[in-house]
Amino acid sequence: MVATFNIPFTKAVPSDSERAIKLLFIVPAVVYLLLLSVFPFIYSVYLSLFDAKLTRMDRKWFVGLENYQNLLADPLFLKAIQNTAVLTLSSIILEIVFGFLCAKVFLSLREMRTGQVLRSLAILPMMITPICVGLMFSYILNPTLGIANHLLSEIGVQGPSWFGHPWIALPTVIFINAWQWTPFMMLLMLAGLVSVPSSQYEAAELEGAKWHHVARWIEIPAIRDVILIGVILRVIDNLKLFDLVYVTTRGGPGDATELVTFFAYRQDFRFFQVGYGSAAAVIILLLSIVVTTVAVAYLRKAQR
Amino acid sequence: MNNENTGWKLAAAFVITFIFISPIIWMVLAAFKTINDIYAIPPVWVPDFSYLENFKLLLSENWQFLLNSTIVTLCATLLCLIFALPAAFALVYFQFRRQDFLADWILSTRMMPPIAAAVPLYMVFNGMGMLDTLPTLVLVYAGFNLPFAVWVAMSFFRNIPKEIIEAARVEGCTWVQTFRLVALPLAKSGIATVSTFVFIFAWNELLLSLFLTTREAKTFPVVISSFSTVTKTYWELISAATIIQILPPVIFTILMQKHIVSGLTMGAVKN
Repeated sequence: MVATFNIPFTKAVPSDSERAIKLLFIVPAVVYLLLLSVFPFIYSVYLSLFDAKLTRMDRKWFVGLENYQNLLADPLFLKAIQNTAVLTLSSIILEIVFGFLCAKVFLSLREMRTGQVLRSLAILPMMITPICVGLMFSYILNPTLGIANHLLSEIGVQGPSWFGHPWIALPTVIFINAWQWTPFMMLLMLAGLVSVPSSQYEAAELEGAKWHHVARWIEIPAIRDVILIGVILRVIDNLKLFDLVYVTTRGGPGDATELVTFFAYRQDFRFFQVGYGSAAAVIILLLSIVVTTVAVAYLRKAQR
Repeated sequence: MNNENTGWKLAAAFVITFIFISPIIWMVLAAFKTINDIYAIPPVWVPDFSYLENFKLLLSENWQFLLNSTIVTLCATLLCLIFALPAAFALVYFQFRRQDFLADWILSTRMMPPIAAAVPLYMVFNGMGMLDTLPTLVLVYAGFNLPFAVWVAMSFFRNIPKEIIEAARVEGCTWVQTFRLVALPLAKSGIATVSTFVFIFAWNELLLSLFLTTREAKTFPVVISSFSTVTKTYWELISAATIIQILPPVIFTILMQKHIVSGLTMGAVKN
């Protein structure tokens, strides 16, 4: 009561020193961000218009949009875009489908101690260092010493070279990516499913609804928003995906697992073609901005 | 629900959990195997857990990089909070023009791919002679986690009843006092959550450290990735290093599982 009475008073006298103090709260963070991310992003756009070598930055030539023209004609970059799209789409589909199934199982066991313990173990993959995840699966799927192909040979199946075969390498990377992030989707969906009132399930049971009716008309509408948030965040992360291919396939065999971020990294720091690499980075940036705009609007709406 | 149904669900839960933790366990077992056992066919299922040579070998040569990782991660987390907490407080409690735009802009920088900032950062720190130093990594890691920290901290400050903040102002607290003596203590658990998230993100980071360091300031993930070369892969070192590397995230996930969803979605989804 007292507080509401006092608001007009504090608002009425905004002294200069109070204004300065208020600015002191927010300005340092804004300046930090401007220096550490906005400036570098803008500088990348600038660099992308030049023919420049990282080893000789004093000599660079303005080439306009030539880097972009070359990129869009570069089969490796086009392959990288295609691979990134395939990886993003298929791993998200896998994460949603399996995440939903896992969420359903753990939802019905959530009152049970064993269920809770199992759930906390099942979510371990998502926070683990991505390079460790990559190396873990390199070890398991290794053609000579890996446990996976050994178990397959026990049942008479000759296991493939998971990272070495041009058709299998990308699905393998997708599978590992989905393995790591399915628990995240599961937790998101659990958070959504918990909010479905049990009366709706009971009503559906009385009506004699099948499980797919329940999923279609009760559960999916209830978790649509959380799924969308999850999808947006996963798209953004997959555009940045680097660590996993860096320790498993290095983009190979050939161009089979070349991804956009990895492509830009190699142009910049392996071939030192920073103009070309920056142009690639700018294209990734543009793709991210499209997704980000949607993401920010959605996150803001959900958080309020 | 009948018992038979619960039995099936429980079995399914065991299978799911097995799928998600068996790869981790298999790697943990490898850390206690001799090189011969790692390459043995048929595989050695249960190693002798008293065999610690892999860890000794790993740490004798690389303890310095593990220390680098720890120092960088801790300092970056602290620096990040120093900038993020006041900003989040301001965005929640102060009224100013374009407030929502500012919050959205901060969030959008979180979504940007680090590779798009890589070359300029490299050039700037190269120009200042600060490549391959720990302070550089601290600055960059703190900066890249700042948007996340601001946004999540905002969701925690928003949970403090507005009346409490207003009451503090009525009692004559300045904004700085209100922030330090009222808001921060009330958001304590939230701050703990934000800091652990920032810690884990910085701890797991590879790309930035890969091009900002060469020898002295290398972080542990960079060292681990160097154990896998074109000609030889040092599985005994990789497995031992993996255990050390994933220990903080694993502990964190178990202790903080209630906050993981709201953290990773930046407060948009609560559970």
